Amino acid sequence: MTLGLLAQAGDGVAPIDTPGVAWSALSPILVLIGGAIVLLVVGALAPRRSRIGWHAMLTVAVAGGTIAAVVPLWDRVHDDGPYSAVASAVGVDGFSLFVTVVIAVAVAIAALLTDGYLRREGLEGPEPYVLMLLSAAGAVMMASANDLIVMFLGLEIMSIAVYVLAGLHLRRRRSGEAAVKYFVLGSFSSAFFLYGVALVYGATGSTNLVRIARFLAANTLADQGLLIAGFALLLVGFGFKVAAVPFHSWTPDVYQGSPSPIVAFMASGVKAGGFAGLLRVFVATFGTYRLDWQPVVYGIAVLSLVVGAVLAVVQTDVKRMLAYSSINHAGFILIGVQAATDEGVTAALFYLAAYTFMVAGAFGVVTVVGRRGDGHHHLDDYQGLARRQPLLALVFAIFLLAQAGVPLTSGFLAKFYVVEAAIEARSFWLALVAMVSAVVSAFLYLRIVLVMYAGAGDGADTDPAAGRPRLAVPAAAAIALVVAVAATIGIGLVPDPLTRTARDATPELVAASD
Amino acid sequence: MGQYLPILMLLVLAVVFAALSFFASRLLAPRRPTAAKSAPYECGIVPSREPPERFPVRFYLIAMIFIVFDIEIIFLYPYAVIHRELGGFGLVEMAVFVVAVFAAFVYLIANGALDWGPVKHLRRVDPRVSTSRTAATTVRRVGLEGREPETGEAA
Repeated sequence: MTLGLLAQAGDGVAPIDTPGVAWSALSPILVLIGGAIVLLVVGALAPRRSRIGWHAMLTVAVAGGTIAAVVPLWDRVHDDGPYSAVASAVGVDGFSLFVTVVIAVAVAIAALLTDGYLRREGLEGPEPYVLMLLSAAGAVMMASANDLIVMFLGLEIMSIAVYVLAGLHLRRRRSGEAAVKYFVLGSFSSAFFLYGVALVYGATGSTNLVRIARFLAANTLADQGLLIAGFALLLVGFGFKVAAVPFHSWTPDVYQGSPSPIVAFMASGVKAGGFAGLLRVFVATFGTYRLDWQPVVYGIAVLSLVVGAVLAVVQTDVKRMLAYSSINHAGFILIGVQAATDEGVTAALFYLAAYTFMVAGAFGVVTVVGRRGDGHHHLDDYQGLARRQPLLALVFAIFLLAQAGVPLTSGFLAKFYVVEAAIEARSFWLALVAMVSAVVSAFLYLRIVLVMYAGAGDGADTDPAAGRPRLAVPAAAAIALVVAVAATIGIGLVPDPLTRTARDATPELVAASD
Repeated sequence: MGQYLPILMLLVLAVVFAALSFFASRLLAPRRPTAAKSAPYECGIVPSREPPERFPVRFYLIAMIFIVFDIEIIFLYPYAVIHRELGGFGLVEMAVFVVAVFAAFVYLIANGALDWGPVKHLRRVDPRVSTSRTAATTVRRVGLEGREPETGEAA
């Protein structure tokens, strides 16, 4: 019958000109969303609890499918150059594909960590995985958006799912608190972002990044006030998502309250989405106005570096420490953004990829040490961990040292590349601040390592480790930790493949040919 | 900035209109209050009892189902009007949309959004978890996690 209707469509009525949908260009997003819907339906019909964690397995498979969908696109971009689809609303370039892979990896690791967590807390169900996949789809949409409205859609899809994920632990009051805080502040920042979009539209006459870039390159605005105000508001929106300093106040509370495996995703996947949007909008689109926004990003980067490092040192809760250290890392990535050069973008991408493994792994260990109730995150809970579980302590130490930037780990090279980009962009003071903040934050990482290995962090004579039960490391979490450690050390030893890939992945705005 | 003047004017006009009507009704309207008039939800019927303060959480699920179908209708109705003009493109788009909506509906049904009446099967709680929690009450469950002493460790 429908075919009959379709056949009739030709005569009598003038067909509306509909945009062509390049399904292949959207395939990574489609795989993520399709996987989420399948998981939602199957998960609702099947029993919520099962011996094998097939929810997590399916999620990892979907993440793998996303990466598989990226491969042919990457080849095509490599051969024919970047292109855009869906009436130039979505761009397919090396940049978006690189970030897509980073986000997919973050989803896979977080899903593996979530499985054991949900079993331990008695919260089994498909919902966390579904939300994680949808959030990842939003982040991918942000990374590949060629239109500010599409980017806003991506931002919201990403954020709303994560607000819910933050409140995943129904019986923990802190989890609900984190969700409400994140939701209220996040909605504010989304509103700022949207207002920024409106102002930029008012100044340039388009929300399409390609057209904005062309307009700004071809015209000189008599009155720049509107455009600059739009920059500022967009920067607030992005700054909130990546937890840069004047907009960071939610980070410690939300990271502390949210379920630890979810934080692993927040700190890796969501941050990657935010930075991808930031790089795409500011470096690629507003590049001609870099003299106007660079000083502001410079300031935000300095503040993030200093505040993140200094406040992390005075914390006694490991999750809060890692939250502040993630602010410090955001400062480092902002250095790459501030440089606004190809080297800067490459360095930021390398940093994001390396940081994803480090931070997801670190929160993976935190998940395990948190034990039932997800409440054991004080520094004291780590005392003597090396004696009780040397392997777990060693893994955590590797992640922490990598975050501190110790050579032979990915963290060292990540920090090295952004500082190098800053120096090439002649931002010497910023590079200096970055290195000093790295030293300050090294104190924090070493403090945790010391507590784990020495067992007496604050001069306690008794052995609090005695009588504590052995921590159970679920098999899935063990796989995630092994992968993260292998990547952290592997990238540190053989950085070339990732560096070369990141170098190919600069954002390029191309109008659709159709 | 000249072209934004109308927006500003509209803003001012909106505020002025709201303020004006508020004060005008105060000044002009005759005030003869009766018990029925000043009751909440004034609609001519004097309420016989206080409205209940608590109602089943299930209503939220009903509201969710309503939203699911509401959104579906919002999109389906315009499509039905111009489906000929949209042709195959519109059909594919609507199919994608309806599948997504249907998935949400299946999820709601599977989670018991339409199971009315007494709860038939209580969700079983892992006996290892904690002896203080029962399936019958949720009172003890709230806010305990994370603050428990180190007793109920799962292996």
